Amino acid sequence: MRCRLDSLSLIVCLHLLSIDGDDDKGERSQIGDTMTVAAGVGYVLIALGPALSLFASVIAKKPFLILTLLSSTLFWLISLIILAGAWRAFLPVKSTELWPYSILILTSVGFQEGIRIGFWRLFKKMEDMLNAFADRVSKPRLFLTDKMQLALAGGLGHGLAHAVFFCLSLLTPAFGPATFYVDKCPSIPFFLISAIIALGFVIIHTFSMVIAFNGYTEGKRKDQIFVPFAHLIAALITLINLVPGGCNIGLPLLCIMAGTTLYYSWQLVWRRLTEHQTTRSSD
Amino acid sequence: MDDGSTDSDPVTAGESSILDTLGEDVIRIVSPVSLCMLLVVLLVSSLSSTNDLSSSVSSLFLSSTTTPTSFSSLNLLLLGSDSTWEEIKSALVTALSFVVVVTLLTFLLVLLFYFRCTNFLRIYMGISSLFVLSFLGGFIFLLLISHFKIPIDPFTFAILLFNLSVVGVFAVFMPKFPISMNQGYLVAIGVLTAYWFTMLPEWTTWALLIAMSLYDLAAVLLPIGPLRLLVELAMSRNEEIPALVYEARPVDPQPGDRVRVWRERTDVRIEATENSTNSANVQTVQETRLAVSEEITAPLIEAFPQTGDRHLGTEEVEDGIGLGSSGAIKLGLGDFIFYSVLVGRAAMYDYMTVYACYLAIMAGLGVTLLLLAVYRKALPALPVSIMLGVVFYLLTRVLLEVFVVQCSSNLLMF
Repeated sequence: MRCRLDSLSLIVCLHLLSIDGDDDKGERSQIGDTMTVAAGVGYVLIALGPALSLFASVIAKKPFLILTLLSSTLFWLISLIILAGAWRAFLPVKSTELWPYSILILTSVGFQEGIRIGFWRLFKKMEDMLNAFADRVSKPRLFLTDKMQLALAGGLGHGLAHAVFFCLSLLTPAFGPATFYVDKCPSIPFFLISAIIALGFVIIHTFSMVIAFNGYTEGKRKDQIFVPFAHLIAALITLINLVPGGCNIGLPLLCIMAGTTLYYSWQLVWRRLTEHQTTRSSD
Repeated sequence: MDDGSTDSDPVTAGESSILDTLGEDVIRIVSPVSLCMLLVVLLVSSLSSTNDLSSSVSSLFLSSTTTPTSFSSLNLLLLGSDSTWEEIKSALVTALSFVVVVTLLTFLLVLLFYFRCTNFLRIYMGISSLFVLSFLGGFIFLLLISHFKIPIDPFTFAILLFNLSVVGVFAVFMPKFPISMNQGYLVAIGVLTAYWFTMLPEWTTWALLIAMSLYDLAAVLLPIGPLRLLVELAMSRNEEIPALVYEARPVDPQPGDRVRVWRERTDVRIEATENSTNSANVQTVQETRLAVSEEITAPLIEAFPQTGDRHLGTEEVEDGIGLGSSGAIKLGLGDFIFYSVLVGRAAMYDYMTVYACYLAIMAGLGVTLLLLAVYRKALPALPVSIMLGVVFYLLTRVLLEVFVVQCSSNLLMF
């Protein structure tokens, strides 16, 4: 069953798909049933695979990082709600022109980057509290790797929130037997596109938080400018998806952007850690 | 255990940073709450898809404000088009009567505890757990079997159910049972009861949640509140209250024996034949005839040792953060149930509200734990979380959904 609708009617179609699928459940073969659940699970894993492995290997071991993750997810959600509140009066945007959407993107990204500075201040305060606590129980203060892990957990929280709200919450019909194609992109199912975009943004959010915290701590202009820039470019790339057939260009570009952020963060962390090691060994 | 920092920082080969163990207590209470909510959401989404007469979408379409679900839908259809106001009125009446009954029962419980009828209370709690596990559990089991078409014969089913319920009752009330089984069965009881509550009509559920959180606030903090009286009685006598409370103890046993101050819960049940301290019959106006087991909220408390040697070491409580204390955090089962009811009801609308409400409840729980560390006395765990949950549900439903769908359907994300 294919439906070619857009904007709010999308919700209608998606829910009708899920209800429709359940009615036919009895007639379908067992293989058909499990295939569709498998498709849904597959989309979830595409969007969240790296995030889950990061969680299992780094974050799940330290309870405090899990708490940081939950609070940064909440933070991102609140910023998204504020944005939605600010834009509510102007939605739904009926036109297919580019400029209302670009204003939407610009304001949203600008707001979120501004919030990131506030997040960093909270992070500094928390670091001071943790150091004071460490002094009180006579344990060593926070190491550099601890601070980076905190930044990683914060960034992963943001990325997770993005994936959950922009991709997972719309994935419910994917667990049914049908699929859905958007008008502007008839070659890839909607769920797959949103999963890949969510994957790209998870990586961008996670590692740009690491870069940003390091940049603010060290005071390096280059790092501080890179993060809002990367976020803005990535968001503007998704504007290409408005053009019919644009998603074929937009998706690979987004993945390239995610890879760039990953590489930059890798270089930064490597440099920082080797510097730290040389200063420690020279003491 | 090797963590990442030991590889890159040569100094930490022998040392451990504070980040390794900080926040363990909180995670040990967050995990079972999250698990309970997850199970309820899974149950609701797999079982209610066949029962829905109208989904959230058609309500958008038809611009009606409520979503009739399951047993109440027929009722509403018969009542006619002006059903929204009727629903709100009946919801308020139901919630109010519920709170009144729970208050009376709690006072009765305080009275019984005062007259030292502890055995009576314990036996009653055992019977009510048996009821929840066998009847409610059996009913939900049957729903699952019919929905997923699991081939199972009645004898196997009966034997399984009997075994599971009896072991559950022992796990919850025998003192020497393994703590992991105790915790597992408490979560199971919470899931079953919460799923039952999500079968209420929508307005009734919300009114009930808000009413119970206000009641919890009053009952624990006011000087005449029944729960506060109960806690003070238990503290003055150094006794434990017989109650269904989740104790976030680690699986390895802690040294030393501590007397704990319990937070207590009553079992409110519909159609229970006996009227004892911990349970009552509530025949509500718009309810279904099915039995619902309910436990009043239990405030969140921290165990602090009453007797002699307190093991102080380096694990002193840090006032600013409130973590790392030497006792286990206790959370009443009613809190589990009401959190899961809120999330389950959000699941009946859409998954976006589920995630938003989950985060709100976790935030509320965190705030409550912080307050617990600061004030060091029994605190109500419901009000902050439920209020935040309701606020986030409304905000998501009104503001966020339109925004996100608008962006996603045009493949615009940031």
